[in-house]
Formats: sequence, C-alpha cells, structure tokens
Amino acid sequence: MKNVLLVGAPNSGKSALFNRLTGLQHKVANYPGITIDVGSGALRSDTRAQVWDFPGTYSLNAISGEEEVAIDALRSALADDRPAVVAMVLDATRLEKGLTYCLQVAREAARSKKPFLVLLNMMDILEHNELALDLDGLRASLGVPVLPVSARTGDGVEAAEAALLSTRAAQSPWADTPDALIEGSAQQIADRFVPQGELLVRRQAKIDNWLLGTASGGVAFVVIMTLFFQAIFTWSAPLMDGVEAFVLGLGAWLVPLVPEGVFADFFEDAVFGGLGAFLVFVPQIFVLTLIIGALEDSGYLARAALICHRPLSYFGLSGKSFVPLLSGVACAIPAIYAARTMSSRQERLMTYVAIPLMPCSARLPVYALLITVLIPDTTVFGGLVGWQGLVMSSIYFFGIVSALLVASVASRLGESESRKQAFILELPAYRTPNILPIIHASVNRSGHFIQKAGSIIFTVTVVVWFLGYFPNGGEDLSTSWLATLGTWIQPVFEPLGLDWRYGVAILASFLAREVFVGTLGTIFGIENADDDPAPLAERITESGLTAASGAALVVFFTIALQCVSTVALLARESKSTGFAMRLLLGYLLLAWIGAFAVHGVVSMF
Amino acid sequence: MSLWSLSVGASARVSSVTGGAGNVAAQRLIDIGFRKGQPVSCLLQPGFGAPRVFALGNATYSLDKETADLVILTHDTPS
Repeated sequence: MKNVLLVGAPNSGKSALFNRLTGLQHKVANYPGITIDVGSGALRSDTRAQVWDFPGTYSLNAISGEEEVAIDALRSALADDRPAVVAMVLDATRLEKGLTYCLQVAREAARSKKPFLVLLNMMDILEHNELALDLDGLRASLGVPVLPVSARTGDGVEAAEAALLSTRAAQSPWADTPDALIEGSAQQIADRFVPQGELLVRRQAKIDNWLLGTASGGVAFVVIMTLFFQAIFTWSAPLMDGVEAFVLGLGAWLVPLVPEGVFADFFEDAVFGGLGAFLVFVPQIFVLTLIIGALEDSGYLARAALICHRPLSYFGLSGKSFVPLLSGVACAIPAIYAARTMSSRQERLMTYVAIPLMPCSARLPVYALLITVLIPDTTVFGGLVGWQGLVMSSIYFFGIVSALLVASVASRLGESESRKQAFILELPAYRTPNILPIIHASVNRSGHFIQKAGSIIFTVTVVVWFLGYFPNGGEDLSTSWLATLGTWIQPVFEPLGLDWRYGVAILASFLAREVFVGTLGTIFGIENADDDPAPLAERITESGLTAASGAALVVFFTIALQCVSTVALLARESKSTGFAMRLLLGYLLLAWIGAFAVHGVVSMF
Repeated sequence: MSLWSLSVGASARVSSVTGGAGNVAAQRLIDIGFRKGQPVSCLLQPGFGAPRVFALGNATYSLDKETADLVILTHDTPS
C-alpha cells in the first residue's frame, strides 16, 4: 500500500484537498491550525493508497507542544520504510507563508528517499482575481513537480491524483541544503513568484475596517454573539424538545411490553430516562458545531479571537478561548468540543479548566429553587428590579468571575508555555462558508458524542439507578442504598448545615445538576418538582433550611463539577483521565471549602 | 522603530527580527516571511490594546505588542 503524506501551512486548504482526494468529509475550517489529529482516508481513485492529513504548521521548528507532536508524527512517517509520496500543499494566493516549510520538508523527504511534489491550491481565487503565477518558473526553481489545483472547485484534482500514484514522482534536490540557504531560497522564490497586487489584502482590509473597528467592530461582535447565543438556546430548543419527546414516547411504547416489576422500572427510569438525559444534548451540539463551523469558514472566528485576546490574556487565557467559554454558558459539553479549534494544547487545557465554572443552563433549575427558598419575592426601584432576579444575575456573575480567576491561577501554576504564548494569528480571507462539509462535521461530532461520551454517561446512570432502586424495589428512596450512601457521606455535608437528604440529592446530581431538584422532590414527596418548584421550595422552607446552608448550597453548585458527561468528555478531549479526575476532585474540594466559608460568614448574621 | 509603532496605512521594510536564538516567536515570524528587506504595512489598529493587523505580501497577520516589537523596521519606505 502506498502512503500519501499531505502537509502544508495552516489555512492552505490542505484539509479541503484531503476531502477532495479521499471523498471523506474530514473536518475542514477556514481557521489556522484546525487539524489537530492526523486524519486518514483511502485515495478516491485508488483505494490501495492511503492519504494522511498532517496538522498544519509553518515550519519544522515547533513553537508549541502541539506542533512538536505534529512534526514528530511527520518525521516518523518519513522514516517509515513503506513507500510514500510527500505532497506539500501551498496556498497560491499566499505563497510566501509556506515556502520555508516547503523547502524544509522537501529536504527531509529527499533524505528519506521519498518523492516530493507540490500541490498549488486556491488557483481558482488567483484566476478569479486575474492574477498570474509563473508555474514553469516555480517548477524549475523548486526542482519538483508543481500541480495547480483547487480544492474548492475540484479543478486539477484528477491530475494531482495521477501524479501522487505515479511511480516516476521526483526526488527533491534539497537533501544537502543548510538551514540558512533554505531561508534565503524561500525568500528568493517568494520575491520572484508571489503574485503581485494587493487586491486580496485590500478587499479583506475593507471588511476588517468594519468588523475590527473600535466602535463598529464592537457592535458587530455583540450582534454576532447574540445570534450565536440565540442559535444555541432558541434554535436548538425545538430539536431538544423533539428528542426528549421521542425518547419518552419510545419508552411509553416499549415499557408496557416488558413485564411489570424491576425490569419495567429499569427500562423506564434507567434506560429511557438515562438515554433522554444525554441524547437531549445532541441537537445542541449539532447546532453549535454548525454555527461555529460557519463562523470559522467565513473567516470571522479568527477576528473574534483577536478582539477578545487582550481582556482574556489578563487571566492566562487566549482570545481563542472566547467561543468555548461563551458556549459554556449554555452547556459545558458543546463548549469542550468548541475548544478543539485551539491549536495549542496548553491553551486548550486552560480553557478546559475554566469551562466547568461557567454558569451552564443545568444549574438554572437549582438556582431557581434555592432563590425561591431563600430570597423574598420583592422588588426595588419602583418595581423595576426584583431581588430574586438580582441574586440570580449575581450568581451568574460569580460563576464567570470564578472561571476567570481559577484559569488565571492555574495558568500561573502551569507550564511557562501556557503563561505567555506569542499571539501570531493569520487572518484568513473572508469567504462564503462551504456548508456541506460543515454539516458533515456537525453530524460526525454529534455521532462521536453519542458513541463515546454516551456509553460512560449511560453506565453511570445505570449504577445510580441501581443504588436508588435497591434493596426496596424503588418503593422508598430514603431506605435505598443511595440513601445509605447519603448517610455515610453525611459527615461531609454536616459542617454546611445539610442533612442526608441534601447529600443524596447532591450525589444524584452528579448525573446532571438539574437532577438535584427532582431528587429533592422525590425525597420531600413532591411530584413534578422539575416543572413547578414552588411547592418543593415551600416544603424545604418548612423543613428549616437555614439561609447559611442555602447560601452554602448555591456556592457548592456554582463551583463543583457535578456532571458525568462533562468529566467523561474532559477525559476524552484532553486525552488524560488524570486531568479530568484532578479537575473533578479539585473543584469538589474548592466547592466544599467555598460553601463552608460562606456558611460560616452567613451564620454570623 | 518596531512593527508595533507603524501607524495605520504606513509601510516600511523589515530590518531584523530580534529576540535571539531560541526565541520561538522570533523564529515563527521568520518562518512566515518577516525577513530583512520585506515590505510590511499596518492595516488596522483595533482599540483597547488589541493585537494589530499587518499585511506581509498577500497574507494578513494579527500580532500582539510583545510579538510585533520583535520586528525592527528600517525607515526606507517601500515604493
């Protein structure tokens, strides 16, 4: 089998070309550094050949851990004895940015006795703008085959496939060239062949004047982000309701077919209840991936990163952390996926640290219940401002500030690389998003969530159901093994003024935070507490929950990482179960300490 | 004069990239084409200390102050 090693600078259209060559809908985006893993797929015209899409980088000199991994992967592939051809993708409109890397890889390929060729992408844009490029001269200067292609239109792709399969592909003549000469040659070739005329830059700058202007840029940013939020909350809501109704309907249809008793209860509560709990996130992930994909492909996401870089850098984060953090206000799951667009692993890890503290929508029912219990429904300023609303805003603000402060501390404790990363961001040309690959990527991402995170979430759901159901057959939660567990952990919550009932509800809420309300409803004997928390709030007030304990609960829920889905996904995306476990335990400890402190302070009044 | 001090619309040529051997940001700037004699222009200076936007050839880059200060310019304005 022959390998095709596809390499190139970020944003050279390499992944789009990979899609053309393989027919696969590999994740493609108009954003530098999007390819994080090495993608692979069989060549469309000859499935015996395997195409490998290496992460984009500007040079063989890595400036981050992420780039080092990518470059090591390429070096290993070059050192492999199996037959392979190296294909360097260059952006014809921005030839100069990839030439140093091109010559460096050409040298390594020659030393490894691997044939090397250049695929000159985006020729359609050059032609559209009536800009010329001397292809024969470029071939002569590089000493390797140069094939004009357009990943966007498909022009030249067949010829490129034939060249990749050809046994006569050329060895590059750069084997013995020293570094200094590589840089000098790259410069000379750029000076001679880069298409002249700043048409592309001028056109882009006109749009940037609007989207990055101090006033107009701010307005555009707020409008775009408002639409973004609307998409996550509003557009996905009917789809989420639909999924929930479908799972409930399926359960209502299938459960009666199972004999009554433990199996019927298991299918109803654990299987269909559990399925509904995580499948409901799928539409949100789909919509979020779709919108982020469209923003990336249009070129705007790089501009959003630029706008947010300065304020976020004070907290050890990067401008690229903005979209994941923003998504985290809706739900940590899509937020963690959104962090994939960040090329630096250190920056991604710092963003992962901050995401669980963002006030996600699952916390809302918990806050609503506790505010109803603790805060009187009165208004100030002539009825314009309600105390309950004010407290809710303050809790959200507290969550966001906590996220930024924790990220700030973590980045200072972490590796020096995470503290100060140079901000060098290529601003891609604006273009109309290529919607089909984005839809495919969104479908793939949703499927990935169901397949990977879903299995872990479902397992834990079953375990919690099992503990809550036995030994009394689900008759009384207060005598279940879960309640016994609640009694065991009561000493942990006693200093916060909370008894076993809250301990059990907190334990159950590790499935999903909003489960807290339903569980307390079950314990206090209130049905449908999820839909109407008022009777439950009344019962909790009657049970004598103090203001200090209520405030402690709010602080606990603001900080604690009580979400199996989030922990599972953090472990998967960070490729480190240890990292996810440290976050889980760290935030639990921090939540308890914060709650204890607040309990102590409020008790003094 | 450093790249950061280039005013909007102005052009100059790169004189050198400072930072010394081992400075990864300097190395990356050289890799992407900030080399001696190259014309560079400032396209935008967004407010509030945000990274600025520079054109180098047909490519557009956004650099923060610390990074842009590594690029030293000559007074020789390109035609």
